[in-house]
Amino acid sequence: MTITETERTDTGRHVTVLVDRCAGCQECVIRCPAGALSMESASWTAQADDALCVGCRQCERTCPFSAIVVEGPLALATRVDPPVRHPVELHANVTETRPGYATWDEAIAEANRCLACPDPTCVRGCPAHNDIPAFVAAIRDHDLETAHAILRRTTVLPDVCSRVCNQAAQCEGSCTWSLAGGEPVAIGRLERFIADQVAVPAPVVVEPTATALSVGIVGSGPAAIGAAYELLAGGARVTVYERDDRPGGLLVWGIPDFTLPDVVARRPWEDLVAAGVDLRLATSVEPGDLDQLLEAHDALVMAHGAGQAMRLSVPGADLDGVGTATAFLQGAKAALDPGGDPAAFRASLGVAPGRGRRVLVLGAGNTAMDVARLARRVGLEATCVDWLDERFALARPDELAEARAEGVDVRFSRTLTSLEGFDGRVVRAVLSHTTQRDRTSAPVVSPDALDVLAVDLVVMAMGYRIEEGLRAHVPQTPIVKRHRGFAPGRWSASGILANPASPACFAQPVGALALDREVGLWESAMPRRERLWAAGDALTGPSTVVEAMAQGRRAARAVLDARPSRDGRAHGAEPSSPRVLVAYASASGTTARLAEVVGDELRRSGATVSVLPVERVDALAVAQADALVLGSWVEGLVVARVRAARAMRDFVDGLPWLGGRPVAVYCTYGVNPRTAPAELAHQVEARGGTVVASATFGPGDRAEDARIRPTKPEAFAHRVAAQVLTQRARATVA
Amino acid sequence: MAVLTEDHSRSGFPGSHQVDPIPVAIRTRPPSDPEATGRFAATDPPRGLDIARLKRVGGLLRDRRLQFLLILPNQIIFWLVIAIGIVGTVVPGLNFATAITWYLWFCLVFVMMVVVGRAWCAMCPFGGFGEWVQRRTFFKRTTKSLGLGLKMPERVAQYGFLLSVGAFLVLTWIEEFFNIAGPGNPMATSFMVLGIVGTALVFFLTFERRTFCRYVCPLSALIGTVGAMGSVAGFRTRDRSVCLSCATKDCMRGDAEGFGCPWYTWPGSADSNAACGLCTECYKACPSDNIGLYLQPPLTSVVAPSRRRADVAWSVALLFGLVLYQQVNALGAFVSLDNWLNTHLHFPQYPNPVDYVGIIAAVAVVLAAIGRLFSVAFARRDVVLAPGGTSFVERTSRFRSYFVPLMYGIIPVVGADYFARQLPKFLRYVPRVPVSIGHLFGFGSTSSRLYHASLIASNAGIIAVQDLVIALGTAAAMWASWRIAGRDLAPLSRRPLAARVAATALAGALGVVVAVLYVWMNAAN
Repeated sequence: MTITETERTDTGRHVTVLVDRCAGCQECVIRCPAGALSMESASWTAQADDALCVGCRQCERTCPFSAIVVEGPLALATRVDPPVRHPVELHANVTETRPGYATWDEAIAEANRCLACPDPTCVRGCPAHNDIPAFVAAIRDHDLETAHAILRRTTVLPDVCSRVCNQAAQCEGSCTWSLAGGEPVAIGRLERFIADQVAVPAPVVVEPTATALSVGIVGSGPAAIGAAYELLAGGARVTVYERDDRPGGLLVWGIPDFTLPDVVARRPWEDLVAAGVDLRLATSVEPGDLDQLLEAHDALVMAHGAGQAMRLSVPGADLDGVGTATAFLQGAKAALDPGGDPAAFRASLGVAPGRGRRVLVLGAGNTAMDVARLARRVGLEATCVDWLDERFALARPDELAEARAEGVDVRFSRTLTSLEGFDGRVVRAVLSHTTQRDRTSAPVVSPDALDVLAVDLVVMAMGYRIEEGLRAHVPQTPIVKRHRGFAPGRWSASGILANPASPACFAQPVGALALDREVGLWESAMPRRERLWAAGDALTGPSTVVEAMAQGRRAARAVLDARPSRDGRAHGAEPSSPRVLVAYASASGTTARLAEVVGDELRRSGATVSVLPVERVDALAVAQADALVLGSWVEGLVVARVRAARAMRDFVDGLPWLGGRPVAVYCTYGVNPRTAPAELAHQVEARGGTVVASATFGPGDRAEDARIRPTKPEAFAHRVAAQVLTQRARATVA
Repeated sequence: MAVLTEDHSRSGFPGSHQVDPIPVAIRTRPPSDPEATGRFAATDPPRGLDIARLKRVGGLLRDRRLQFLLILPNQIIFWLVIAIGIVGTVVPGLNFATAITWYLWFCLVFVMMVVVGRAWCAMCPFGGFGEWVQRRTFFKRTTKSLGLGLKMPERVAQYGFLLSVGAFLVLTWIEEFFNIAGPGNPMATSFMVLGIVGTALVFFLTFERRTFCRYVCPLSALIGTVGAMGSVAGFRTRDRSVCLSCATKDCMRGDAEGFGCPWYTWPGSADSNAACGLCTECYKACPSDNIGLYLQPPLTSVVAPSRRRADVAWSVALLFGLVLYQQVNALGAFVSLDNWLNTHLHFPQYPNPVDYVGIIAAVAVVLAAIGRLFSVAFARRDVVLAPGGTSFVERTSRFRSYFVPLMYGIIPVVGADYFARQLPKFLRYVPRVPVSIGHLFGFGSTSSRLYHASLIASNAGIIAVQDLVIALGTAAAMWASWRIAGRDLAPLSRRPLAARVAATALAGALGVVVAVLYVWMNAAN
């Protein structure tokens, strides 16, 4: 079909390639979802066909030289969004407020909005990295079994995540339409459509052999679910220890039914138990039990979550009528379950008829919203207060809007100053006004501006933290989920990092949020101590369901990869050659050459070796390595500030917890290394590494043509190989 | 839609359970490559001339301090120039500012551009200072930059080097008007250098990367065109297929080891050394060790590029006009013309802007007319030109298809002319440089023997050297024109051989004109 000139201009879109700046690298050509860009061979620059352009600006975001400008509207159909249900009668109503697609027509219409981007930013935005374009394409093909199969590669909770995820800050916030300023594809609803129409497949189970890994999981929340699915598929025997009498953790007690119906929340554990997971309910694991569990299992995955509610220390906090979100959520959920009695629940809270129904919820995050909305459903009036400015609110924007629509009074820029009581029970709350300049600065309290609220109940819903007892036995937790240093090249190349902060992403750039989440994912692959991994909130502190699930899967894969053994048994697999990562910081090339020499020697000793400059080492490389060799040049002035290079020191500081992993260090120097190797070794030990060898190489030690006897670097490599191979042998062969 | 097979990690450990799921979802289109190999074959330097393969050179290029250390001495020298020009002696020959700038530096820059290319750009203190401020570092890799980071507007950028040519013409006129290099008052040299540094700083704080160097710097067009004669090809790809399939393009975007190319040049498609600032950033950033620093036979970047640029052609024409103006203005007839114009236009002194612009424009127009004449005389009517774009550098026409290659062919004459033009000052006065340095420390004066020494004192000797340079440049231009015409003009021409001969003759004729002018100038400064 020929496109007429009128049709060309009718689109209103125009792509300008700045030809003097375009270098013909084709980053735009290979990523354009519409095929609107091609190469002009004479000038070797990109050329655009305006008629094909859909205005998504993917090219603008991915051009390394900013050589493309797109003007005009987005070629974007209206998003198919079933309206949120606002029940007329809230009392005792736990009907889901966010409906899914009811018909194929709706789902297909929405699926057709997906551009199937060649380098999909939504996949990076999804904490589990679901292959979103592929499952959307499967929906278009009416092939939901394939869609489930695609999802199963990366998630085991599509029915749950599609309901509880904050898609605006994850996949949908990273959708190319969203990055271009348009309405994103309703990825969450499409994922839910798959799970609503066809049951989520049962776990894949590889029958455990006699020598199968035995893995214990502490906790039964999303991280534990993710880990259990992965371990079953890897042929491991899985035992889960849950403190409560119902499995599911946060999923069953922390999320109200109007967001996550109970039948959906129960599904994963029903499937896992049926698949053979040994689920031990009402079994509390205390810090003193960990050693015993490590004797009983080859590996432990700590997925006990972050269940300790945070409390505010203000005058009157110990009055009757002041409680925590955990107790309220559990009680309210039970009261709203079939057979429950909201009135009895109210009475248990001391807010019986004639005594008032005003609940003050401290906090305005997602937990606070759940508390307040549940309060409305058990017949109470709810007011939420948060000291943050509304621009930097921690609640999902849609959750906040729904809560307000249901009559919850949400007040930002307020903080509780004191609670006043009468007859030992809270009756009044004094609130101060606050101001907050930007997202990272703490709000400032204005002592003069006060609100006084009459209250009958106060619920502290300011979040959770990891319980201190177990946390102390899981080293280096919680981790800081902050990506430091330069973004990985592929993340920059995809264009996800090109967008500025957005209100839907807590006033942060969606790409930065996604990259920060990667830190949690990579850290979950690292053992926190010998044969012990952590995932989910137990690793990162309070987080999201999907992150916890993804981390659980990643930790389980790390367990399967490491195949640890509590008693030296082989687990059926041939002991593989140890993997050694040689990372170096080199200024003139000497340290790099020595890294190659060491690497070659290790290879000759049977190790699988990767030699990389520290700038190119990513978390995956560290996670996969059985041992590390770190080489650095020595900076400083002969006697002053002589130490390992800054790049190496920064690298070691940024390493995930090494959990006793063997590490060898060497330094190259011109005059005198002084204490540089010792300081580097000390730094490595502070990150949980076990330093097995240390060496320094001066100008006379770098001979590359010693034919008679090994050079000093080669001798060092022999020593490292001996240590690594010995440890490996100890770990894999009885 | 093809799937690019990506390695699942950089760690290189095979057989792991831990596969990064993101690459699985990447289904990028295959890059267009059908003509890449053939298209770039003529401009790709010989593989063996990659000096980055030498371990010591490679290590040096990898060192982030390299460019800082290249810039630092020049930075010191030119801040000294600024200071000493203002506070030092008013005797030009004794003042370090005048002596180093006009007796040595300007000549050295021409030597560097003819031999190397953009060697000066790698060590330039003007751009270097702006870049330090913009990057907020002397040499470290930083993430946040200072300034607005704007792009050069396309309506300006499409003219490529022409803005730089304009800046050079304005600066030269100012230099002539104030007799800065004459040499006049050393303070004028200081203010000129300060002006360049200040302008550069403003541009570095307004625009991103080295927009100033690429588009505005007065020397950029001159180095970019004349530097094409140089024997350093710059940083180029070692294997183009690796560059085409590279998933990250770190050389353009930058990574932990290097900034993205400040000159907007991609080693994967570079076909000349015109826009490679030799800053080493791409070499540092490449994750595949796929970039080398290549040498090339002289004139390769004149003869070989298949993408000939109209801005380069017009730059050559205008720059030739400028240097011819500088030759002509040493003749008695010109002095009469300039005085006559000044009298009638009430302009205070030489150089009158009308004859300045007029002569330069006239030369460019004559060269354009010759191009037009070629197209009329030789062009085949049955040849259909490739469709061009709408911007200045993209447009195609029968005129351009002759004019542009012809101008590339005369680059060696223009380069030789500029070099020869600097020789009288250099040959006569360069011994004054050590005297001016000594003067800073209290010894060295106009009575020093060295002050009155010359490398070549006689006019005849200087003219001989100048004409020797022109003869070499003309020979190079004739050879280049013969080659260029054979490849670019012959297929378009009814009489291919005649077109080649005519193009070669044009280069020769221009060389003769220039050589004769040098004789008539009688070694004038």
